[in-house]
Amino acid sequence: MPVRTPHFPDLLFGSAARLRRWEGTLMDLFAAHGYRELHPSLVLREAVPDGALRFFDGDDLVALRWDFTMALAGLLTRTFSEPPDRVAYAGAVFRRPVQPWEAVERFEVGCERIQPHGESSAEADTELARLLMAIPGVLGLKSAILHLGNAALVRRPLEAEGLSGDLADAVVAALSRRAPHRVAQAMEGHPAAARMATHAEALLSELDGPGTLEALGASPYADLLKEERSHMDRALKGLLPILPPNLELRVDLADVAGLGFYTGPTLRLWAPGAQQELAAGGRYDRLFPDLGRPWQAAGFCVRLSRLLDLADTRPDLFEQPR
Amino acid sequence: MNAASTLLIAFPKGRLGDELVPLLAGTPLALDATALKSRVLRIPTATPGVAALLLKGADLPRYVAAGVASLGIVGSDTLDEMDMDLLELADLGFGACRLSLCALAGVTLEALRAKPHLRLATKFPKATEAWLTREGLTAELVPLSSSAELAPLLGLADAIVDLVQTGGTLKAHGLVETAVLGRSSARLVAARGAYLSEPGRLRPLAEMLVEAFRIKV
Repeated sequence: MPVRTPHFPDLLFGSAARLRRWEGTLMDLFAAHGYRELHPSLVLREAVPDGALRFFDGDDLVALRWDFTMALAGLLTRTFSEPPDRVAYAGAVFRRPVQPWEAVERFEVGCERIQPHGESSAEADTELARLLMAIPGVLGLKSAILHLGNAALVRRPLEAEGLSGDLADAVVAALSRRAPHRVAQAMEGHPAAARMATHAEALLSELDGPGTLEALGASPYADLLKEERSHMDRALKGLLPILPPNLELRVDLADVAGLGFYTGPTLRLWAPGAQQELAAGGRYDRLFPDLGRPWQAAGFCVRLSRLLDLADTRPDLFEQPR
Repeated sequence: MNAASTLLIAFPKGRLGDELVPLLAGTPLALDATALKSRVLRIPTATPGVAALLLKGADLPRYVAAGVASLGIVGSDTLDEMDMDLLELADLGFGACRLSLCALAGVTLEALRAKPHLRLATKFPKATEAWLTREGLTAELVPLSSSAELAPLLGLADAIVDLVQTGGTLKAHGLVETAVLGRSSARLVAARGAYLSEPGRLRPLAEMLVEAFRIKV
């Protein structure tokens, strides 16, 4: 995918029509599965983060909606005493780009599954994975790859070793780079250095189908992560028989993107040759408790801006519309 | 095999490239000798469908991060200076050198520490700043892109922070290492998207490169 710098993208006829069509198709898909739309305000007044587009409204510093999950969390905790179980959203978010070729205005469609704390989450995780598996087909992608991960595979060993702050950040950054040698370098001199280095090697040794889970056996934290392994195994067994023909399922044990946010299973959708993931999500059970609500949640977001870019630059990856 | 489906690997020019090219000889990624002698910067390899780009080290990470080249080899010193979103699959073990604070012979680290206004010339500002922070020092950084060894000789700076491999260039300019700030070696890097969306295409090539260097280095 060629590099472009559409910081504030104007969509011309073809892209505008595609955006409208995809938004409608995806929201229909969510509605058919019981997800009801919520539309949080485009202007947010609370907790304005650094990466947001900020401005003054009179004396108040406000920001354009920078993340749907956070905007929805504010709306849900303000409005509901009991959580709606399924919500969907569509629209634009505005964030300062991390990479120079990213746009500031990004179009997204997504869904969230919210439950009272303590309810089993396995069924909800599988429901979301099944929903995400349907998306390449409804968008006309000829083939796609779904990565299943689990943030707890890194989070729990870090917690068990009492690693936090800069050192934990360095380990996570090294795993994000898929650089086991950097994990060893970051941990040099620490009592857990050998264990974390071996764990990193195990997480990074495979990026393939269900057999990838076997790699966890080589980790010193294999016992600690038994439950996560069994959860992933059950999810795979549930998903593989219903895998659409043009979708490949891979296990990515070293998925640490958003580790500060995700607490459990993660999902990422790729198309072969795409430079960026097209959809991403996972379980984030700490979000609502941090906002004072005993709820747990998981969800995913389809990054329509990246899909529009891909449709422009790699039309060969899409079925021609009839 | 059309141009669009050709897989590009970015190789560095300069010091690291000089070490790399002989190491590639006899591997499936050996560079075409005729093309190498010409001025072209896109060189066929011994594997059909895989071509090499010859790039300056400082530019190379950008080509890989943007996905133009799927794989690349670059010094960890360059990676550490640039905040690029790419994967760093292996430490290839060659091109090893030190990032050192160097001053004129006779000037000690203590003497540099005692300077009220220390001036350091470097093309590694990020690593230098990190070292200064660790040491509790402040300094004026003089950004240079090459020939940093001249700076202390001509009074542009009190010392330099630069890569040292054999120490020959330092010696030729009457400089000595007064502190080692870090170590660098060649790293195999990959475009995040290409690697995660097509591991079946990139992993075998990456593993082959790692194996080739493991045997030769």
